[in-house]
Amino acid sequence: MSGSIKPSSLLLKLKSNLFTIGFFIPAFLYLFSFFVIIVVFLLKFSFSGNVPLLHLLSVDEFKAALWRSFWFMGVGTPLQLVVGLLLALLIQQSFKGVGMVRSLFMIPIAIPALVTAIIIDLLFSYPLGPINDLLLGRHAFFPQIVSLPVNWSGSEFLSLGLAILGKTWRDMPISMLILLAGLHSIELEQYEAAKTMGARSWQQFKYLTLPLLTPAILTILILRSIENWKEFVFPFVLAPAYPLLGVLIERLYHVEQNPALAASVALGLVILIALTTLIFTTITKMVRKYLVRV
Amino acid sequence: MKILKFVLIGVILFFIIFPLFMMTKYSISDRESIVTGGEYPEPFFPFKPTLEMFGVLWSRSDFMKAGLTSLWVGLFAVAFSLLLGAPTAYALARFRIPGVAILLFFLLSVRLFPDISAVIPVAELLLSRPFSLLPPVVLVGLAHTLLALPYTVYIAKGVFESIPRDLEEQAFVLGAAKSRTFFKILTPLALPGLGAAAIYTFFLSWNEFIFAYFLTFQGTETTLPVYLLRILSWSPQKNFISAISLLICVPVIIFTFLVQRYMREGLTAGAVK
Repeated sequence: MSGSIKPSSLLLKLKSNLFTIGFFIPAFLYLFSFFVIIVVFLLKFSFSGNVPLLHLLSVDEFKAALWRSFWFMGVGTPLQLVVGLLLALLIQQSFKGVGMVRSLFMIPIAIPALVTAIIIDLLFSYPLGPINDLLLGRHAFFPQIVSLPVNWSGSEFLSLGLAILGKTWRDMPISMLILLAGLHSIELEQYEAAKTMGARSWQQFKYLTLPLLTPAILTILILRSIENWKEFVFPFVLAPAYPLLGVLIERLYHVEQNPALAASVALGLVILIALTTLIFTTITKMVRKYLVRV
Repeated sequence: MKILKFVLIGVILFFIIFPLFMMTKYSISDRESIVTGGEYPEPFFPFKPTLEMFGVLWSRSDFMKAGLTSLWVGLFAVAFSLLLGAPTAYALARFRIPGVAILLFFLLSVRLFPDISAVIPVAELLLSRPFSLLPPVVLVGLAHTLLALPYTVYIAKGVFESIPRDLEEQAFVLGAAKSRTFFKILTPLALPGLGAAAIYTFFLSWNEFIFAYFLTFQGTETTLPVYLLRILSWSPQKNFISAISLLICVPVIIFTFLVQRYMREGLTAGAVK
């Protein structure tokens, strides 16, 4: 008897598993095949080209772009952290209209990056634009600061600065939300205790908020540095003359029609991001250990 | 301290609103307000506000075509990522799958690549035969599905987890097949949550630039952001560019405000474990 039941139960099991597999497989297959394609293409291209991956560092274009990307990341990341922290602290405590303010603070993320970059390009246009009008003192309410209009896109420092400004403006809600979640996880009793012991608000911030916020801050540093390494749209529109790694990839692919070198740089960017993440994760672990000991 | 706080909030709100105000101002500017010839500063409000540019855009077939392309690409991405993602999310939420952690990692792994790195292989693949025979709308839609699918799966997984198992068991007792249970009982219940995933996908697609730019680099059929960039490269007229920019932003801003609560519910529904 048992022999006749077993096959049918096995069949049932297989049937139910088939259902699971059938349901699970479509999205998985789609994403996984693209993953494989990306990895294989990047590796194949970057080793088949004239410049093998390891020799990238001897290409001047790459070195310059790497250096610029490094600065973009190095300046943008802390700036975005500070701005996000400021925004989060401002709406941490509830007040009348806090919901409205938070909604308004969320607006930048709703604006497409390309549109943001183009608005900034319009505002800082040369020689005649609203910001140059202001700086030249052409409005009665603003003092004159420069005597000649500033050519923003003509200077490496200024155009990359504008790109950082745009990136910071658009992405500030993201950092704000993560830090806000971190702030809300700090228990109010701890603040009460600090107040009872006579801590001023600056002392509360320094000795209570900041240390307890460290995990959220480290998360932001990791996410933002990745985000800044791979930035494309803002420097592409605002600093086309001074390519970052992302802009260099586009240029090599479209203008110079050199997909192999473009893939090499693309792979180099992936490796850089992996290294940065590794370094930041190690720092995070060390800081956690240190915090626990204290 | 309190005054300082509100002053700071005011300053930040100014910096958030100012660029958007300027965009709106430019889009309704008359000629004298943008072409000053350096004789007077650009006014902060146009001398003679006009909706002329929107009329011009309305009658331009290339703009309308780009708008429609954006719409269709977004709808394609929504449909395709829900079709692929919802069943996967259901399987993840309900069934024990061996090695699920590794599978989840692979679901997300594609997003570990920077867009600008991933776009080279994707463009090389989709712009060569047989894929290049597909219309550009489908190609860009496929790429946007790739970007949105991991999030769709994660949101939908949370949605299915929030639906009580009892319902399915009752359906099973009453003799419904699993697929029937999924489509007739679970899907209607999950629709609001899946709606959040759909809205997320649509606006990801609507705002996306890099993949759309690479995949439609040579063709005439393209999405609104890429169209905007092309306009920028040949006609630097501030009011025209601003009018297009405004029209791209408006749906996103309206939706962000309208569906904020709904989306938060959808997203928290997706977040609960």
